[in-house]
Parts: sequence; structure tokens; C-alpha cells
Amino acid sequence: MQFLSETSVRHPKVTVSLIGVMAIVTILLAALPSVMPEVFSFLHPVSVDTDPENMLAKDEPVRVFHNEMKSTFRLYDMIVVGVTNPGNDNGVFNPESLKKVFELAEAVKEMRWKNADGEMEGVVDVELMAPSTVDNIQPGSLGTVQFEWLMPEPPTTQEEALSIRDKAKRLPMFDGTIVSDSGDALALYVPLTSKDVSYQVATKIEKKASEFGGTEEFYVTGLPVAQDTFGVEMFVQMAVSAPLAMLLIFILMWIFFRQITIIISPLIVAMVSVIMSMGLLVINGNTIHIMSSMIPIFVMPIAVLDSVHILSEFFDRYQKSKDRYKTLSLVMDELSAPMFYTSLTTCAGFASLALTPIPPVQVFGIYVSLGVFFAWIFTVTIVPAYIALLPESSLQGFGLTHSEDEEHLSWMGRAVKALGPFTYNYAKPILLLVVILGVISAYGISQITINDNPVKWFTKTHKIRVADRVLNEKFAGTYMAYLTLSPGEATTSFEVQKNHLREKLSALGENVVPQILAEFDKQAEGVSNREELLAKLKEQFSEQLDAASDETFEAWEDAMLALETEKLDLEVFKQPEVLRYIADFQKYLLETGYVGKSNSLADVVKTVHRELYLGEQEKFSIPDSVQAVGQTLVTFQNSHRPNDLWHFVTSDYRTTNLWIQLKSGDNKDMSALVSAVEKYFAEHAPPQPLNHNWFGLTYINVVWQQKMVSGMLEAFLGSFIIVLIMMVFLFRSLVWGVLSMIPLTVTIAIMYGILGLIGKDYDMPVAVLSSLSLGLAVDYAIHFLARSRHLRAQYSSWKETVEAMFGEPGRAIARNVIVIGVGFMPLLAAPLVPYQTVGALISAILLLAGIATLLILPAILRLIEPIAFSNIRKEER
Amino acid sequence: MYWRSLFVLIILGLATPGFAIDVHELVEKANFTSYYQGNGGKAKVSMVISDKGGATRNRDFVILRRDDDQDSAKTGDQKFFVYFTRPADVNKTVFLVHKKVEADDDRWLYLPALDLVRRIAAGDKRTSFVGSHFFYEDVSGRNPREDEHELVEETSNYYVLKSTPKNPKSVEFAYYKNWIHKKTFIPVKTEFYEANGEPYRLYEAVKVESVQGFPTVTQSRMSDLKTGGKTEMSYGEVQYDIGIPDDIFTERYLRNPPRKLLR
Repeated sequence: MQFLSETSVRHPKVTVSLIGVMAIVTILLAALPSVMPEVFSFLHPVSVDTDPENMLAKDEPVRVFHNEMKSTFRLYDMIVVGVTNPGNDNGVFNPESLKKVFELAEAVKEMRWKNADGEMEGVVDVELMAPSTVDNIQPGSLGTVQFEWLMPEPPTTQEEALSIRDKAKRLPMFDGTIVSDSGDALALYVPLTSKDVSYQVATKIEKKASEFGGTEEFYVTGLPVAQDTFGVEMFVQMAVSAPLAMLLIFILMWIFFRQITIIISPLIVAMVSVIMSMGLLVINGNTIHIMSSMIPIFVMPIAVLDSVHILSEFFDRYQKSKDRYKTLSLVMDELSAPMFYTSLTTCAGFASLALTPIPPVQVFGIYVSLGVFFAWIFTVTIVPAYIALLPESSLQGFGLTHSEDEEHLSWMGRAVKALGPFTYNYAKPILLLVVILGVISAYGISQITINDNPVKWFTKTHKIRVADRVLNEKFAGTYMAYLTLSPGEATTSFEVQKNHLREKLSALGENVVPQILAEFDKQAEGVSNREELLAKLKEQFSEQLDAASDETFEAWEDAMLALETEKLDLEVFKQPEVLRYIADFQKYLLETGYVGKSNSLADVVKTVHRELYLGEQEKFSIPDSVQAVGQTLVTFQNSHRPNDLWHFVTSDYRTTNLWIQLKSGDNKDMSALVSAVEKYFAEHAPPQPLNHNWFGLTYINVVWQQKMVSGMLEAFLGSFIIVLIMMVFLFRSLVWGVLSMIPLTVTIAIMYGILGLIGKDYDMPVAVLSSLSLGLAVDYAIHFLARSRHLRAQYSSWKETVEAMFGEPGRAIARNVIVIGVGFMPLLAAPLVPYQTVGALISAILLLAGIATLLILPAILRLIEPIAFSNIRKEER
Repeated sequence: MYWRSLFVLIILGLATPGFAIDVHELVEKANFTSYYQGNGGKAKVSMVISDKGGATRNRDFVILRRDDDQDSAKTGDQKFFVYFTRPADVNKTVFLVHKKVEADDDRWLYLPALDLVRRIAAGDKRTSFVGSHFFYEDVSGRNPREDEHELVEETSNYYVLKSTPKNPKSVEFAYYKNWIHKKTFIPVKTEFYEANGEPYRLYEAVKVESVQGFPTVTQSRMSDLKTGGKTEMSYGEVQYDIGIPDDIFTERYLRNPPRKLLR
């Protein structure tokens, strides 16, 4: 393994130029197709993907179903625009505010444009839900039914303004959706051709709203806006945080090594590693997703890690010989094996993510793993080559002059030095403390809530979070989940159906009954299902109908009608008892506490039925026959928006869709609702077998979360075992292999224990970090144990070895912990919560892993010295 | 209002002397061939409503028409009796219209399963006709007096009329254009435009046949250019001059439809 670094030292210029060319080629291949798409159409341009839906593979059943249902029920992803007016006693229900709402709706309708392919994109204007674009159905004067636009034009008087509010509150479809529960705010639902345009449209809406002035407040939210906004801010974040982290790492290294020229080399390593891994990601046609955007932030510290070990060692030894080649050779001799193994374990940790069922996480794991591999190659080549290239003068004064002289040690060096004897003298108390912490952590882990919510990816003061909070306070909820119902297996046999039909026909007009029944028996022979029988009968009857005399015409017509009516049985969601079952189920949904409101076909039927009876409240019910339901629905379709019906039911009336509004987009609430619904269907049998299926973004988030949690756990356990095997192999000892896993196990246990105790949700970044901690925390243990074994051979006892261990090797580990741990602090200032989480957790993990390594390992070695070093003694002899 | 539009027409007539026909006369003739031919009439209509996605829904009904003024050359008040036969659940549902030139139309809806007769409030007639892409106004005819008309083009086969509403707030279109066949005066195409000049709604006479000597649209289509949905109406068994008695068009007959007439 030293071959690589020896070659680079011998041919430093060639090494550096080769790597430089490689980096430039990668940059060109990745960037050119985006800069000049025509010329380089055979390459993949940079494409960004901020859609959490893509956490699931495109062919994932739940996603396929989601998209199928969206098109079946003509549903679009929606932006919600809430309007309040704290400056008016009636809120927005005054002429002035409503005029603004009207104008805003008119402007929103025009927010569409032709895209590059000539297709319209932006707002789906015909589906916009605003006071001026939806229909009010109400009893008019003189016993009439009336369909009119809820707000055909802005009202001119206060009375008119209030009457718009009262009209909307009467209609269950609008109450809590268009007009707030409190009756002082309005909401517009802006459907989009695709989620990708939501940021653009949201920006336009905000701009339009800002032109109004006045005391009205406009809030723009909805899952698509949150997701798209996240994507935009993600890039700002990448452009700011990653370089900032780099800068901080640079400053810290300068504090430790005091030599700008020298510390540039780790930065080059980090940069080239990031370029290579991100470049390959783009070149291979992967999208830059929320996950992959974090690759640089993960690769950078890992890339710097090994360089810090080399520099630290070089720093401590150079002044002894003043011969850089000799020092380099010594340093590489000592570090080659641990560096190789630490890189290998980190690679394994991330590569294990490829086993998760979530595509973006797989991509993330593979490319971070690649980045780590590049970082290793570049560390062992660039850093030595770089040192070899430096002019002699720049190395003067570099490094510790009297490494063992306490006077000249930094505060950090002194602290590390003091730690050694401490672990020797207090080995048992240290281990006792670890055990106690372990127990507390175990309790903490049991308290962890698995939860995520894309809106909560923004900080509390972000306008999207504010809008989310205000609108969910006032309205019945801005998070949509959809539940479809469709008939299950039919339970009545064909024989029963046949007899039923025959009975019905025999009750028709007397003059032709014998003829009808004769025809029926003839046609029914050899037929095995209802559809076929009905089709055959229909053909026969219609012939008879055409030939019928005026006397028999009515009877034949009734016979035909009887056949058609028979088919109505298939229209499951026109059956009164089914609709009543749905209405009862909706009541239950409200009682669960997770649902602010639900809308269904039953609500449409009940409302129109009530209005047909001039608004009598007791007629707010499902009528008694399938014909009455059908006629109610035809009445509804006489409105301006007849197609709104198809948001709730398919035109064959065999699949229905419930709109469920949740006040919270937390996955845990959606999950709880899903279980509550399962319970209801299990305990309350529907009048006929029904299947139910969820869809909608809120539900999809739950599905990928479940996959992620179980996937991450499997990936983590898998890589834990792989790393353990690698360690046993590296140390050629089961005891040492297990030992090396202890610090990371303790780190992860404490980490997740703390999360559980402070109530931080286990979300996507948290899940991914378990792999990072596995890869990084084991590094310190490898370095510590490898060096311990190496040193122990030179000393007579562990007590003496400890002194040496907490000299240069201890300092190297401590420097690493500080450089990388502090280097991630800038992420804490990020406006996006996942980045904050990553920053805080990486820092904490490194700190914990460093402390765990420096405290626990020597304490254990002290106690098991005879077992641990038995081999070494033999070697010595 | 009337004299004013006439005035406008005269001015336009003066400004565009190239056209061989008076706009007012043209509008009147087109209105007549669309809704007033023969002395009353009957047709069996089969309506197919289809989505962009291809899902279809059917509605079958019989239309009876009677003109109040029995002088068959005039365009005056009319009565329509629309009796639904299919789908089975709306069988026997009736829609009754008393169309008035000088006042708001009277409209009734009879729902047999609820045994309920409801008047439909006067006012907006540009709502969907039983869920189709046709509006009520398309079925009974838009009163020509509600728009200003101008002849904008004359081709070898068609006069092209542009009609702008006098009360823009009462309708959803900015204006519409009518392609009127020169020989028969049948409007074969009507395009409705938004304020930005984009057409969004299209009526087409798909098939025209001569029935009892009257050129008759026997198939027509209304397309929603925004959603991609469309409705096709096929008129079968068209009969003119069948002498439908006036009392059929009363509330009493909603519950007891004249089945022989509707056969």
C-alpha cells in the first residue's frame, strides 16, 4: 500500500498533474452538457430533483397508484393561499378585502405559460378554487333552486360581503376549506400542472399580493411549495455552507500547524474528492436530490481526516530529522495500514446504504462511498507529493521542536497528555459510567418517535412554517390525504341475481308478461354471468320494443328499463346504504382527532338534497333510492362546475374518493390515522364488501418513511457486521475486532439515546447519520488500537504505552475531532432544518466518538491487558 | 338598447360596404334556422359526454318544441319539454322551459324519484346542461339581443359574425365568432374567446341533413378546449310540424308525461 505514496514522492509533478487533469476532465464532462446542451447532447446535464416522492422508486406500487388515482379523479398538486385581515372585525369579509381576493384570483388564473415543448404549464385555471370561481347552490325565491357563482364580482356593501361568508359556510364542501372555521379568513386552492412550477407560481402570487397594500395578510403554503422552495434554498445552502465549513476547517488547521502552504494539501484532497464524486454523479445521469446535495458535506470532512493524521504525524516528527523524505517514509509506514482500513470501513458504512429500498439514499451511499475511496487515493498521493514539491525553506520552523517537552505543548496537547494516566487510574469508574450511560441511552432509544414532515424542514420563523401554522389554526387543515373505496368481491351468486331479475320482470305490465318471461328463459339458458344475460336480453327486448304496438309499447319499455336498472346495482357508490356508511365513517374520522374535515360524494348528495328541499336542515341526508341519488347528482351537474363531481367518484360509480384534510403533516399523525381507519373497517362491516386504499402526498411520505426506517436499520446492522469482520481480519484477533467496535457502539447508543430523551424526531437526516457515525467513529478506534499495538511492542507495560499513546497519536485523534467537529458548526446557522440536524449531529458524533475512543479503549485495555497483549508478548520473545 | 345596436349596425354597414348582407338580417336568419324551423318539432337525442381521458357518459332524452306564435316564419317565445330516458336512474326526469324573448325564461325540473318539481331560478343560463359541455343557453338558444354583432369576414361559403356581449359581466366569454353557412344560414361553427383572444370553447355542427325540406343539424359537438372534454349530441327521428298541444308544456304533464308523443 505504501507503493502509491512512494511513487508519488518520487514523481510528485506527474502525480499532481495527472490528478489535476482528471479533475478538469470530470468537471468538463459534468458541466458541458448543461452549458452547451446542443453540442453535448450525448452527455447528461445537471438535473435537480427536490421531490420527496422520488424517495420511492418510480414503479413503487404506492406511487403508481397515487399517480393513477390523481389522473382518475383529476386531482392536481395544489398551492394554498390563505388571506386574513387582522385589521378588520369581520376579517376578510368586507368589500375592500374581497375586492383584493377577487383580483388575486383573476391574476392567478393567468399564471400559466407555454413551456419549451409548447405545452401549457402553471396554474390549471379551470380547476382554481376561489370565491369567484366556485358555485353556490342555494334555494332562491319562489321555491327555486339556484346555481350562481359564490362571488361573481366583488361586493359593494358590507352586507353583501357578509352574505358571501354565510353562503360559503352553509356548504360543507367550502366550510373550513374556502372559508375558515372562524369565519374571518379565506383560502384559494391553486392547482398546478406539475409540482415543479410551484415555486415559480408561489413567487408570482406573493408578488401580486404584495402590490395590494392594506391590512390583509397573504399566506402561501402547501406541500408542493414547501418541497420546491426547499429545493431552491438547498442550493443556496450548498453554495454557502459547504465553502464555509471548508473555510473553518482551514482556519483550525492553520491554528494547529501554523503553515499555510502545508495545510493547502488537505484542502486540495477534499476539493478533488468532492469534484470527482459529484462529477461522476452528474455524468452518470443521477439527479441532484435533497440527499445527494449533502454528498459534498459528507465527503469533505472524511477527505480531510486522513490528511490531518499524516500532517499531524509529520508535524510532530519533522524537526527530529529535518529530512522530509525520511519523515514521510516513517509516517506512511505507520499510517498506511490504519488509513487504508479506516477508509475501507467508511466506504463499507456508506456502501451499505445501497441496500436500502430508497433510490436517493442508495445513490447517496454509493457516491459518498466513492468519494471516500477517492479521498483515500488522493490523500496517500497528493499529500506526500505536495510535501515533496515544497521548497526546503517553507518547511523551516514547521512542526514541534521538542515533542516531549511539556512547556511547548499547546493546551490541547497538555489535556490529551493528562488523559492517559487518568484512564489508567480510573479504568473501572470510567467503564461503570459507560454502563450507566448505556442504560440511560437504551431508555432514550425506546422513547424515539419516528416522524418527518417536509414543512418542518424549514425553521420555525420561515414564512412557509408561519403560513402553515396560521392556516392550520384557522382552517380545517392544509394537508390532503385521499382514501379511495372500491367494491370487493361480489357475494350474491348469479343464480340469485337471475331469479331476482325474473321476479322483477314478472311484475311488469300484464299484457306482455308471458312473452317477456318466455324470452327471458330462452336467453338465460347456458348463460353464466349477469353482464352476458343483460346484454342478450337488451338486444332481444329492443327488437321487441321497435316492433311493439302502441298498447304493448309501454310494457316493453318498462322491461328495457328494468334491465338498465339492474345495472344500477353495479354503481356501488349511488347506493343509499353505501353512501350512509361513508357518511358515518366520516363522522368517525372527525372523532379520531387527526382529521380537520373530510369531503365525500355523500356530502355532495346531502347538500344538493337539502337545497332541493329549499334548505330544510332535516333534508341534509341521503335519499332512499338509487334513482333519487342519481337525480340529485344530475341536479348537481347543472352547475358551473359539473366536473367537480369527478373529484369524488369515477363516472361508473365504482370507485369513490374521500378528501381528508389534516391539520398536521407529521408522518406520525398520518400513520395514526391509517391505523384508526383500519380499525374502523375491521369493526364496522360495510353494506357490501369494499376495498380501501390511501393516496396523496401526506400518505406517500409515510410510506417512504417506513421503508427508510426499516431499510436504514438493516443497512446499519449489515455494515456493522461487515466492519466487525474487517476489524477481526485487520487485527487478526476477535478480541481486538470487538474492541474496535465498542466506541462507535457507545457513540451511536448515546446519540440516539439523547435524541429520544430530548424528543427530537427520528427523520431522514437522523437515519442517514447512523451510517456516517459507523464509518467515522470506527476510524478513531482503528487508529488508536493500531497505534497501541504498534507502541506496546516497544514498551514493557501498558502503563508506559499509555504515556506514549497520549502523546502524538492521541493528539492526532484530538486534532481530527476538533477540526472536523468544529468544521461542521456553520451548518447550525442554516435556514433548513435537515442541514442543521446534520451539522449538529456530525459534530456531536465526532466529539463523542473521539471521547469514547480516548476514554473507553485505554480503560478496557488496562483491564484486559493480559488477554489483549498475549500475542505481542509471544512475538517479543 | 335596441335602437342603439341598430345604430351601430348601420354605422358598421356604412363602414364596410363590401358585404352583401345586412348584419341584423343575418343574425335573425341564423337564429331562425337554429331554433325555429317548422311549426314545432320533436327529436330523440343521444348525448355522449367524454373526458380527455376517454371515459364517457350517456344521456338520452326526447325534446318536444312548440312555438307560441304559430306563424312559422317568426322568432318569438317558445316552449321545450325535455324528457330523459337514460341512464336508468334519471328515467322520467323532465326539464321544462318557457323561453321568452322579452323576459327571463321560466325553467322547471321534475325529479321523479323524489317526486319533486322545482323551478330553477332565473339568472345564469350559462351553467352546464345535465353535466354536458353544452350550456342551458346552447340548448334553448341565446337571445341575439344580448350581444352586439358585426360581420367581420365573408368567405365563399360562410359569413363570419363576431358577437360581443352587451353585459360582459353576465357571461364568461369576451366575445364569440359564428361561421354561418351562406345558403342554409346554419351556424356550422361557433368559437368562444377569452379576453386575451384565446379560443377556449368550440361548437361544431358535425352533420346536417334535410328533414321535411328543412336543413337540420343532426349531429353537433361542443368541445372544451381547455380540459379536452367534449359532448356530442345526435338527433334521431327528427320530425317537424307534428302539432304538439300547448297544455303538454305545463307542470301537470311533468308527472304524467305524454308517453305516446315521446315514443
